[in-house]
Amino acid sequence: MSLSTLTKPWEAMSYGFLDGSAKRELRRKMLKSVAVPGCQMPYASREVPMARGWGTGGLQVSLTLVNPQTRVKVIDQGADDSVNAASIRRFIARVAGTPTTMDTLEADLIQSRHRIPEEILREDQILVLQVPNPEPLRPVQPNMSIARQMHADADYGRMWLQLYEQIVRSGRVMQGASYPSLVHGRHVMTPSPIPRWDVPKLHMAKHLTILSAGREKRIFAVPPYTRVEPLVFSDVPYKVEEHGHLTCTRSGTTGFFMNEIPRDDGTSSFEVSDSEWGVKTIRARDGDGESRGETWYKNGEMPQ
Amino acid sequence: MLATPAPSPAETRDNAAFDALLWTLSRPGLPRDLPEPGEQSIVTALLDRECLVYAADPLLMPEIMRSGAELADIDKADHVFLGAMATSDPLADIAIGSDYYPDDGATVIIRANIGSGTALRLTGPGVDGAVTLQLEGLPVRFWKARAARLRYPMGFDLFFVDGARVVGVPRSTTVEEI
Repeated sequence: MSLSTLTKPWEAMSYGFLDGSAKRELRRKMLKSVAVPGCQMPYASREVPMARGWGTGGLQVSLTLVNPQTRVKVIDQGADDSVNAASIRRFIARVAGTPTTMDTLEADLIQSRHRIPEEILREDQILVLQVPNPEPLRPVQPNMSIARQMHADADYGRMWLQLYEQIVRSGRVMQGASYPSLVHGRHVMTPSPIPRWDVPKLHMAKHLTILSAGREKRIFAVPPYTRVEPLVFSDVPYKVEEHGHLTCTRSGTTGFFMNEIPRDDGTSSFEVSDSEWGVKTIRARDGDGESRGETWYKNGEMPQ
Repeated sequence: MLATPAPSPAETRDNAAFDALLWTLSRPGLPRDLPEPGEQSIVTALLDRECLVYAADPLLMPEIMRSGAELADIDKADHVFLGAMATSDPLADIAIGSDYYPDDGATVIIRANIGSGTALRLTGPGVDGAVTLQLEGLPVRFWKARAARLRYPMGFDLFFVDGARVVGVPRSTTVEEI
């Protein structure tokens, strides 16, 4: 062994910002999280030039996965053009030289905050979700050591109790986003704060989903063709948001998840949340060619 | 503005190796291509000084030592390189983690021929229905020994390397010999 074998040529910056040891650690943990779907794996979560809680977990996963051929799409609440999404997209392109896109169908890697795109993802695509709170048990068990014991024992009784109490108090399940879901019949996970509308998209999906919480230092995954079942009582069926009949005021598309925009007169108008879907709809309407792919929801309903 | 960093050859190789590993582990039974034949690219993509490694194949030692990983007994190691297996005895000692921390279960890399030999029917997460995988060169009681150790979510994850081809069988996969 000589000194030259222990060193490597000088670089101004490591490719993809993260250093080799951070990437190797993430690789090892990603493999373990795929092997045990839905189980939270602790990882180191290095510093990136962004505040914790702004997508650092997802960013680290993306930076580990990218190479100069990976086409990257970043969305924030469905929109490609919000500040957070645009900054992350520009950062990845700057430190990894990746091409970027807004088209869901063109992307190889999609980093997302709180939405899954409306178009069906393919086998060769990877979805990276940013997770603020990876622990579904936190509302019922604030002590994370005890929560880990509960995951180890598959002791999810209190999750059911929480849902039951919501139904008794309010007549329906009040959990709007990050609906607790049972993965592969064993681990309950939070699907990150995606709306209830998006949870069925994870069930037996063709694509790999990696969920990473940078601040909380936890990573978990949903491999393709894996059961993801929202916790429900057999006599109280799972309900997605009633957006199936709503029409987007800007693009005219109907049957997708909408953003509600309050009006001065007390009414609301609606805009499609997946901004690129809206753009594609407008393009098709204006005769600029059809670029829309197949969607998970058809006529506002998820086919069973 | 800084120039965009270009990936070094080592970075490109590790990235491609991990891409193959992640793809095949999330779709058990479907092989992928490593950037170069053998286990070397797996070693450089995954291992560093934080790892405890057991290697049955002395030819892999130089690469493992270069990665900085520490050598350990098989029951302590988080990465186990078994080479070509003669008996299934080592499976009895591999770390399977705990119910608290299933990630302490080892990653096991074994040499085998993919596409010939015993046919296996795989089902579980990552498999659309069922998939058939043929592996040759494993000891006779291998899959029984694996089944005897697995207590999901405790268990170990397997990669079979055949030249530059690699196929993954995670602990979540149910394997039937047919």
